[in-house]
Amino acid sequence: MNPFETLGIEPVFSLDLTVLEQRHRDMSRALHPDRHAASGATERRMALGRAIEVNEAFRILKDPVRRAEALLALRGVATGEGKEPPASPALLMEVMERREALAEVRQTRSQPALDRLIAEVQAEAGRTLTTLGNEFASPTLNSTEVLKRIGELRYYRRFLDEAASIADDLL
Amino acid sequence: MLLDIFDPKAPPQAIGIDLGTTNSIVAHVRDGRPVPLTTCDGSALLPSVVHYGAEGSVLVGRNAAAYATREPERTISSVKRFMGRAADDAETTRLGAYKFVPGESSVVRFDLGKLTPSAIEVSAEILKSLRQSAVDQLMHVGGAVITVPAYFDDAQRQATRDAGRLAGLEVLRLLNEPTAAALAYGLDKQENGLFAVYDLGGGTFDVTILLLDEGVFQVKSTGGDSALGGDDMDREIAERMLMAMGATTPETRTPEVVSIALEAARRAKHGLTDAAEVRLELPKKGGGNLLFSVTRAEFDGWIQPLLERTGKASRRALRDAGLEASALNGVILVGGSTRVPRVRSYVQELFGKAPLSDIDPDLVVAYGAAIQADLLSRSSDEVLLLDVLPLSLGIETMGGGVDKILPRNTGIPAGAKATFTTYADNQTGFDLHVVQGEREIATDCRSLARFKLTGIPPLPAGFARLEVSFHVDENNLLSVKAVELTTGISQSVEVKPSYGLTDDEVEQMLIDALDHGESDFELRRLRDAQVEATRILLATDKAFDTDADLLDVAERTRIEQALSAARSAASSASKASVIENAISALDDATHEWAGRRMNRAIQAAIAGKNLGTVEQSVAHAAGVEAHLAEHGERAPR
Repeated sequence: MNPFETLGIEPVFSLDLTVLEQRHRDMSRALHPDRHAASGATERRMALGRAIEVNEAFRILKDPVRRAEALLALRGVATGEGKEPPASPALLMEVMERREALAEVRQTRSQPALDRLIAEVQAEAGRTLTTLGNEFASPTLNSTEVLKRIGELRYYRRFLDEAASIADDLL
Repeated sequence: MLLDIFDPKAPPQAIGIDLGTTNSIVAHVRDGRPVPLTTCDGSALLPSVVHYGAEGSVLVGRNAAAYATREPERTISSVKRFMGRAADDAETTRLGAYKFVPGESSVVRFDLGKLTPSAIEVSAEILKSLRQSAVDQLMHVGGAVITVPAYFDDAQRQATRDAGRLAGLEVLRLLNEPTAAALAYGLDKQENGLFAVYDLGGGTFDVTILLLDEGVFQVKSTGGDSALGGDDMDREIAERMLMAMGATTPETRTPEVVSIALEAARRAKHGLTDAAEVRLELPKKGGGNLLFSVTRAEFDGWIQPLLERTGKASRRALRDAGLEASALNGVILVGGSTRVPRVRSYVQELFGKAPLSDIDPDLVVAYGAAIQADLLSRSSDEVLLLDVLPLSLGIETMGGGVDKILPRNTGIPAGAKATFTTYADNQTGFDLHVVQGEREIATDCRSLARFKLTGIPPLPAGFARLEVSFHVDENNLLSVKAVELTTGISQSVEVKPSYGLTDDEVEQMLIDALDHGESDFELRRLRDAQVEATRILLATDKAFDTDADLLDVAERTRIEQALSAARSAASSASKASVIENAISALDDATHEWAGRRMNRAIQAAIAGKNLGTVEQSVAHAAGVEAHLAEHGERAPR
């Protein structure tokens, strides 16, 4: 599936999320199964299938990692974790240190410390996003560079997921 | 019985049902406003209590509740807590007066001697009573929307839908309770903005964060605890009463004693809503009475741990929505337990604003259900409900972990695929275990179903590729399908739901429930087919009014023929299958037209916004056929 096509959105990395949300909502208005509750079986199934497709496309485009992968796929670049170049030693080091800090938070259950870690990593991820946006905006796409950034985002993502599960325990 | 007064000329009236832990309500929309219908008790609230008399009678509501202390084991209340659960479930075996049939791993059955009704059948009795009240007042009842806690998992939802079917209802939709409440509020007040719905009922807690925007009700996140509610408050009091009564050991806690304490606890809780202290007389072990007193401050202290659990779920829901409490425009209170003063003050502390409760918290969910039922039956486009999956869906991995296929708070309807491979040479079968929940270990999550895939071609390990598609529909019900990719053959899937009844069991129970077995069942099938046909004929006529220009002459002729054949079948056929076949032929004839009409609807919905791009994208989209091929129907039930 080409999620840009499904939602009728121009295939660019730097999306206006409010436009994306509006488009998703407009299409849901036409396709949501509730709209077809009184129709025949085929139409109901069809609407359900397409509503699912629209929701899936929306989910992909909301997520920068999957959005970037979808853009690469459009250009015929193979994506996936296995295709990404190995992380730089500097990044690995950084991630390792932060992980240790996270493990410590798990012990100390310090909400401020956790918030600080989360904010730091979010800021890092934000910077990578900007870089990624610039990569995609440049006239010649350096796919190796893009894949590397995607890999970085993935590291941050995992870290933030883990932090979120710790935050769950602290709530 | 519905059949006796079936009048095809009277327009069917859709109803909304709040099937609550403590009380159930049926409502419908009259002159554009939701109103409750009077239940057999003469009021809007029907206590969700069913009494099974030793001689075979079944009572529902207040008449049943009258037996609560006399025949506690045969008087089932709070049956909602047992939906979708097993007899050995931790939740099932908490303080209560019931005996269960042992060894039933997939469904809770109450042991009443000769009778052993499942939780689904007990719920169906409540629904039957509500349906009868609706029939008495509306003459011709159409489809029903039944509400469920947002935090209900798939097994609990399936159980609720089955109860509706057993009660003879056409279940249009399972609607999340907080979403229903928001619908009632949103339409009544015409408000836009971000709202939290704090729904503390008799046995379940839900919190939902949603955005109301010009008729769109978009759920951002949902959370809760499907085993937390007013019943737990009762238990806190009852536990202390039992100690005071001298019933300290399991042997002294007979069903009679427990049910007396629970009943007194409920009275004390209700009394504390207005009074600062409540005194009650309780029987003492060995005879005589004692005076038990409880102050509101004491009670507030006892329920504080329960409230903190709701606080945790609420904070998580806010976080999942990416919001601070200060961003909310309002907090809506739902559920009878929000009448407890400490609950209100706690909610105010939690969200930092005074909660709204101007619609009766006992009725608001039923109102929302009635509104949704009305909208659905009219195919209205005034309102759009965009809801989410409450709990993550996943598959157990080799190591006993969970591979999350669809994370919680994914917008529904939703679909996802995962690919698996064989781990042994010439492996021809594959076991899949579908679980739901947030924990990382499969055994800590709810088991939904086990799938056995067979007929995989013998290949070296790792060569076969099994693609498993998950499909969550608008009712939050899951279906799963598997395809072996190297051969492209859909594998036969043997589904064993971990909880609940199989489709065949439900069908058999439906037949058994009818007085004359098969022939009544046939008659009912005929009525159902007529209703369904009428609806589709109407929809097709409507489509002709607006979209006939999308057909060429040959297509139009074919559809008109199918239409008139279906019309005559619907009005004169005496066998359901004749109508069903005619409708299915009409369905075939209108298939492509439906696709074109849907494209037009999409274009209309986003009119003025980039029309060119959309038209192009619609033309190139993967297409309906491809999608249907991918997402065939295979419900795990």
